[in-house]
Amino acid sequence: MAKDVKPTRKELMEIEDRIDLSERGHDTLEQKRDGLIMEFMDILDQAQEVRGGLSENYEDAQRKLNMARAMEGDVAVRGAAAALKEHPEITTQSKNIMGVVVPVIESSRVKKSLDQRGYGLLGTSARIDEAAEAYEELLESIILAAEVETAMKKMLEEIETTKRRVNALEFKLLPDLYENQEYIEQKLEEQEREEIFRLKKIKAKKEEEEKAAKEAEAAETSDVEPVTADD
Amino acid sequence: MSTAGSPNPEYVNARVRARRGALFSDEEYRKLTRMGPAEIARFMEESAYEEEINALGSRYSGVDLVEYALNRNLAKQFNDILDWAEGWLYDLIARYLRKFDAWNVKTIIRGIYADIDRDSIDADLIRAGEFDDRFLNRLLDAGTIEEVVTMLKGTIFGGSLAVAYEDYENTDVLVPLENALDRAFYENLLGGLRGGESLALYREFLEAEIDFRNARNALRLARSGADIDPSEYYIEGGKLFSAAELSQLAANPEELVTRIRESTYGDELSVALNELEDADSLISFERALEAALLEYSDSLGSVFPLSVGPIISYILAKEREVENIRAIARGREAGLDGDEIEEELVIL
Repeated sequence: MAKDVKPTRKELMEIEDRIDLSERGHDTLEQKRDGLIMEFMDILDQAQEVRGGLSENYEDAQRKLNMARAMEGDVAVRGAAAALKEHPEITTQSKNIMGVVVPVIESSRVKKSLDQRGYGLLGTSARIDEAAEAYEELLESIILAAEVETAMKKMLEEIETTKRRVNALEFKLLPDLYENQEYIEQKLEEQEREEIFRLKKIKAKKEEEEKAAKEAEAAETSDVEPVTADD
Repeated sequence: MSTAGSPNPEYVNARVRARRGALFSDEEYRKLTRMGPAEIARFMEESAYEEEINALGSRYSGVDLVEYALNRNLAKQFNDILDWAEGWLYDLIARYLRKFDAWNVKTIIRGIYADIDRDSIDADLIRAGEFDDRFLNRLLDAGTIEEVVTMLKGTIFGGSLAVAYEDYENTDVLVPLENALDRAFYENLLGGLRGGESLALYREFLEAEIDFRNARNALRLARSGADIDPSEYYIEGGKLFSAAELSQLAANPEELVTRIRESTYGDELSVALNELEDADSLISFERALEAALLEYSDSLGSVFPLSVGPIISYILAKEREVENIRAIARGREAGLDGDEIEEELVIL
């Protein structure tokens, strides 16, 4: 890297600017990463809770469905299910958690009252009601789990990206910039030293020349001494 | 065979008594609860269900085979009874078996509504009611619910179904049609029932059935917390509640339970009512109602042995057998252990 850098003052200033920017970026990204991790831990707790609830609701719904199929018959349960054409509706919106866009899933017509399930009340039993209710609860848990787990996945991806950026800054970009800075500084110092040395040399040479000129002049002056009256 | 001719309770009772003897005993249920679904099918193949298991064996397997064979056998048994019966005896039996007509019409309507193919709907029918195969096939061929409603004109379901059809058209949900069918069945149970000591017992049994249905529905409405007027679901003919009383009691389940406890059914249902007060589920209460009804019908049979009583008692016992075997097979398939399944069975 350092070999490609021109050791000029302009370049040094530019590198110093970049170091400044990268250090600030590094600090900000580190803060973002830590913030994301904290948010992620909260979502993780929620996700674990939702997952636990989901498994519980699934087992409960399956047990109640099995009991309804056993006691009322598969034909009766399928018939009751066929009596409803309307499907639950899901709408998705989004919210921003520290720059990460996560979905907010809203459902409607999942939980139904006894007269909204399609089947008649007079010819059915509480077993079918309980199985339907348990499945409605399960569906709500699934929708909530989808929201929380998608948020968790997106947060994880963002944490990973941020971590990579922090690491790239910390272990690659900043060390390279420091190295370049040092290289240019060294080069510039060297150039300065050379310049001083060169100037000194010039000065010394000039002084020498001046001295020689003076000596020559002095010699010349002594050779052409004026003849006095005594001669 | 029909309402024409003189009633023949002696003949029908003799035939039914023989059939009753072939019902599964407690010991056989106990054996079944220890078997897997395939073993249950094999066991049934060596019992009164042999013909149905063999006929359906190529189309279904496992628990589905058991369930369809049970339904077909039930239909055959009840059709035989209707074939044997003559005169008013036929009418008394047919009015109870019309619940299968209501079931079949509901199944056909649901099938059309959910766009299910004809063969699948046909497989789910239980041809145990009064409608003959030709009429049921015509209903199956109907392309729309309106056609079904039109075809049912002239049956006990025709009037209320035509009214409910308007509601259905406005709401596009099947609830009004299904309720109209069940209501027509229940309200015709007692219509035109003649006097006589043996029929008084039959009437009591039918009233109990209506009372139990009203109590179940009121409790379901109360538990659901839905904003529904209970009087809409009230079935006329019971002796325990009036429509207004039921509306009032449905808002207060505790009072409803007290009312049942203080009624003539109180003693038979006391254990179930205690359970209902403690638990959150209605299921054990419904099971207790079914057991009470079964017991009621059993006593019906022993008081007047040559009346409709023993026949209705057999019909209920046969239905219970079918429900018990299906519960065992489905329970075993779902991995329930023998004791759990036995708890769910209703055995006299």
